[in-house]
Amino acid sequence: MRNVRHIVTITALVLLSTYLTYVGLTSLGLMPAAASAQAGPIDWLFDIHVIVMSFLFSLITVILVYSLVVFRRKPGETGDGTHIEGNTGLEIFWTIVPLIAVIAFGIIGADNLRNVRAADPNALEVRVIGFQWGWRFEYPEGFSSTTLYLPANKQVLLKMESSDVLHSFWVPEFRVKQDLIPGRVTELRITPTQVGEYPLMCAEICGTSHAYMVSPVVVVSQVAYDAWVAEQVVAYEAELLASEGQPDARRGEQLYTQYCQVCHSLTGTDGTGPTWKGLFGRENRPLADGSVVALVDEEYLYESIKAPNAKIAQGFNINGMPSFSYLRDSQVYDLIEFIKTLE
Amino acid sequence: MHNAETSHEHKPNLLQGVNVFIVLAVLTAIEFFIAITNASLLLISIVAILKAALVMYYYMHVYKLADVDKHLDDPHSYEHKLISNRFGLWLFILSDAFLFAGLLTARFNLAGLTRLDLDQELGLIVTAVLLLSSFFMNRAETQMKLGNNKGFVVNTALTALLGIGFVVGVVAVEWPDAASHGITASANASSAIFYMMTGMHAFHVITGIIFLLIVLRNGMKGLYTPEKHWAVEAATVYWHFVDLVWIFFYPALYLIGRLA
Amino acid sequence: MKNFLSLGLVRGLIAQFIGTLAGGLFVTAIRALMGLPAFDKFFFSEPAWVFGGLVGALSFLVGVGAVTDWYKWAKGEPTHEHHDEDRRWQRYFGVSLDHKVIGIQYVFTALVLLSVGGLFALIFRTELSQSGLQFLTEEFRIFDQNGLQFYNTLMSLHGMIMIVSILLGIAGMINYLVPMMIGASDMAFPRLNAFSFWVAVPAGVLLLSSMVLGGFDTGWTGYPPLALRAPVGIQMFYLGVWVAGWSSILGGLNLVVTVIRLRAKGMVAFRMPIFVWAAVATSIITLTATQMIGLAFQLVIFERLLGMPFFNVQAGGNPVLFQHLFWFYSHPVVYVFVLPGLGIFSELLPVFARKPLFGYKWVALSSLAIALVGFLVWAHHMFASGMNEYLRVPFMYSTLLVAVPTGVKFFSWVATLWQGKIIFPTPMLFVLGGIVVFLLGGVTGPPHATVSTDLHLHDTYFVVGHFHDTMFGGYIFPFFAALYYWYPKAFGKRLDERLGKLHFWLMTPSFLILTLGMMRIGLLGMRRRIADYDAMLGFDVWHTILTVAAYLIAAGILVFFWNVYITAKNGEPATGNIWNSRSPEWQAPSPLPVHNYDKPFEVVGEPYDYGLENAPYIKTIEENEAVSHA
Repeated sequence: MRNVRHIVTITALVLLSTYLTYVGLTSLGLMPAAASAQAGPIDWLFDIHVIVMSFLFSLITVILVYSLVVFRRKPGETGDGTHIEGNTGLEIFWTIVPLIAVIAFGIIGADNLRNVRAADPNALEVRVIGFQWGWRFEYPEGFSSTTLYLPANKQVLLKMESSDVLHSFWVPEFRVKQDLIPGRVTELRITPTQVGEYPLMCAEICGTSHAYMVSPVVVVSQVAYDAWVAEQVVAYEAELLASEGQPDARRGEQLYTQYCQVCHSLTGTDGTGPTWKGLFGRENRPLADGSVVALVDEEYLYESIKAPNAKIAQGFNINGMPSFSYLRDSQVYDLIEFIKTLE
Repeated sequence: MHNAETSHEHKPNLLQGVNVFIVLAVLTAIEFFIAITNASLLLISIVAILKAALVMYYYMHVYKLADVDKHLDDPHSYEHKLISNRFGLWLFILSDAFLFAGLLTARFNLAGLTRLDLDQELGLIVTAVLLLSSFFMNRAETQMKLGNNKGFVVNTALTALLGIGFVVGVVAVEWPDAASHGITASANASSAIFYMMTGMHAFHVITGIIFLLIVLRNGMKGLYTPEKHWAVEAATVYWHFVDLVWIFFYPALYLIGRLA
Repeated sequence: MKNFLSLGLVRGLIAQFIGTLAGGLFVTAIRALMGLPAFDKFFFSEPAWVFGGLVGALSFLVGVGAVTDWYKWAKGEPTHEHHDEDRRWQRYFGVSLDHKVIGIQYVFTALVLLSVGGLFALIFRTELSQSGLQFLTEEFRIFDQNGLQFYNTLMSLHGMIMIVSILLGIAGMINYLVPMMIGASDMAFPRLNAFSFWVAVPAGVLLLSSMVLGGFDTGWTGYPPLALRAPVGIQMFYLGVWVAGWSSILGGLNLVVTVIRLRAKGMVAFRMPIFVWAAVATSIITLTATQMIGLAFQLVIFERLLGMPFFNVQAGGNPVLFQHLFWFYSHPVVYVFVLPGLGIFSELLPVFARKPLFGYKWVALSSLAIALVGFLVWAHHMFASGMNEYLRVPFMYSTLLVAVPTGVKFFSWVATLWQGKIIFPTPMLFVLGGIVVFLLGGVTGPPHATVSTDLHLHDTYFVVGHFHDTMFGGYIFPFFAALYYWYPKAFGKRLDERLGKLHFWLMTPSFLILTLGMMRIGLLGMRRRIADYDAMLGFDVWHTILTVAAYLIAAGILVFFWNVYITAKNGEPATGNIWNSRSPEWQAPSPLPVHNYDKPFEVVGEPYDYGLENAPYIKTIEENEAVSHA
């Protein structure tokens, strides 16, 4: 009868719409490149979601639009619609079937999460420190880097902590994400699978420059990685050795570009932090609480770098500067040596 | 049909108030004893729930909520508005309960199964004072229902006095005492939640006292009768709620957990 | 001038100003006596601003007259039952006890906040239209913020102002409609109703004042530890929300009592208009869950003021605790946002399809089911937060479960249209558009529910697209549908049809482009809450499109305001049952008399028996009829 014709037409339209929607969406390339082992299961599950989304959207919209066309009031037509109060069987059906789908998705989702979290006991451990507004990576060999180098096809266990506020570790090509908390260590396991360079972006609002808290992640072959590590170790040990000698202003300048340049200018104009020009040796430097530093000497600069909240310069705020207590003393003295050169 | 207003169990009865108080006091003593011996979270919780049930039934007369289907035909009548007011009051209490439940959750999240080294004597004393104030509050309401305005006034005044005593005991004695032992608001998360819980509770006690003083003054002017004393009932139920919260806060802060 | 000062709103604002000053000076004096710094960058110290803000809000309530009657009761003085015969326009600017006036006050305020929040969005969307900073730069300076900081403030306030706007809008719909739908002359507690509205005004002032007190950068979620480092503005944000919460809590309380106690004779639960069910489910949530955001914000307020380290890990605190408390409210509240709107869909479809609401009982109960399940899903906002791992899977299941009662609604709407006789006036367009948009929002939910996929989607524009779909579909569209539909009931005129359709066709395609575009770039790596993005990502074209879409949406809304204006001046009269609705309020003249119904009515049939002969829903009880007692 008429209802049967409607149902046949609608079924055909829904299937067609589902197909077109799904194909249309996926042809756009919805996800970024999949560059981790974790991306596999996640993209697979997301694809299932897209199928279901295409179907559900089509189901409702097609029947809706069909009804609007077929059952619209034609000009001159009077009277009401057919008096149908409901249909208990139908209600039960469209409660139970979605319920089953929900449970199925739950089971699939739980299993998917298990896959994504799979732990390799031989994973490479790297410490990640997030701070306003950058990243630092500490490798097992003892050196630090501001770029995360990783060997392809080896799981890395990231042990992460924030120096100040909440941050979040996210590389879109790796998919998974994990917040960094100050005072606690959180973990994230990633197995990069494609050689390349990817952006690590902070994914939890962390203040003024949250948008710019981005660092490169460089995935290379195991061989290249080993070579890089060896290079870093050599440089690190050389630095350790050299710094056992006298403080060096040139090493200090290098450290300046790496850690301090973002906030401190050499031009005489204050920025996020006070300018370093003419800083060393200044007398009666005003502080925020109204007191005064009689003389800007090495002791004051050392404290300012390692425990910046101890004395805050006038015009600046508490917690304005992160602590650099993780720098070695020799590095701090190198920096001070550099500051001394800035008349 | 069972008529909640006049069934024997629910007739205004001074002796019942006394009996309930004695049971509450005994339960509190049991609670303290359990805390000293094995500090079982389960047992202490059971005792607290028992106390809460007694207060909700006999002092707050929660069963009156069953009247919600009555007097629907005349929305402008006193009886209709009374039942609506009562229902509204209990919804307010439900909402407030969420606040205190949140504070309890925060306490257990931050401090786990440890507790602060608070002065147990002080804790027992202020608890006793608050419990006693509920006894007098119930007595005051019962006197009002029995038509004894003077009895109502005296007992309400006693309730308010004991309430002030509780606030003084917590804010002016317990807090400085704790602070002198290093338990300050800024010391650590556990001490901070102690102050927030007792502070929010004390704030509610103070608003309760203000409510009582208003009702006391109006009562002295003869504004309430056994048939019409909604403000008295409201102040009473609110006061008992404040005691109800302490029934849970007291063990949560003083009795449960091992010393940190 | 005297006329101006006679307006409650004006007196309230003056009182708020004086109260803020007085409270601030009080704390300043105490600080000076204690030897603490008395003044700060923004004149008052932070504690002075917080206390001043609170005193100011309370002073507003005294000044506007929202507590006058209660004060009289406290003094033992009687107040006369206000029979509001005041019909001047001034009644909208002061305390009125008439739920219809209060409903309109709520709606008006909601539209003001919608405009402010929308303006903020247009500002930052303009900045975002291209990569690199165009005008919100580091050199830009306003209210002690540079461009990046001001972006964060605008972004944060956009979120919370919109949320408050939605809460006021739904309060407007509920307070206006429910009493007339159940045959009552007003809400159970008219004074409480007036208080619930007026408390939102100083709350809004507090919220907006955060902008000039240094702003804040946390987003509307206000998470510590970042919140602990924000300028004073964040305290005004917290305080504004805390005060606004009272509107939600007390409004919800009032509604529940009203529905339980004031229904017309014969209006049993399953013979109530369906919107009333939606209102009840919504009110249960606002009555209870709101306390949690009050508590969460209060804890941060005090951590800032007194150093109480609730969220400082080194002192034993737990930043994740804030998130649990915060989301315990903030997830259920999204159902507060959409349940009334979904109720509007269920209410209006039968009228425009001339057919019963399909499966009325199931739809009614689905609102309660959504409210209940809505309390069990909050931690799906915290899958990446570092909370206990074992919590993730249970919350995934509970989150997926919400789809079931929601699906019941969708299927019912479609079934209601089936074999109807459908017409398409403006309200119907917004209903249909809303259903499609909310559907989009609904189907983009499950990818967030499954934890592994959420780890990619969290904090991206995909989420932003998802919740804008649900907010527009569940609130904005049905809100406009309701405004177009009940405008004649309130004012005796109808809004212009052509302008209404223009509003719809400007807003809807633009909105779909906006959210689909957002979801696309979100998947590809566009994080949320960032003032700038790398040109290398290739999102510039998309962002420009999004910005254009945003402006078109704004244009649609401006058309609506224009429509309201010209209709007020010389709109088409519409005093009868122009929609031929069975609902009680349409059986009475428009605008309704002060007490809604001159004679009470009795429910004698089903609310949605369209298509059935001789099946009235209500019957007026004439005075000479014996009223039978059940």
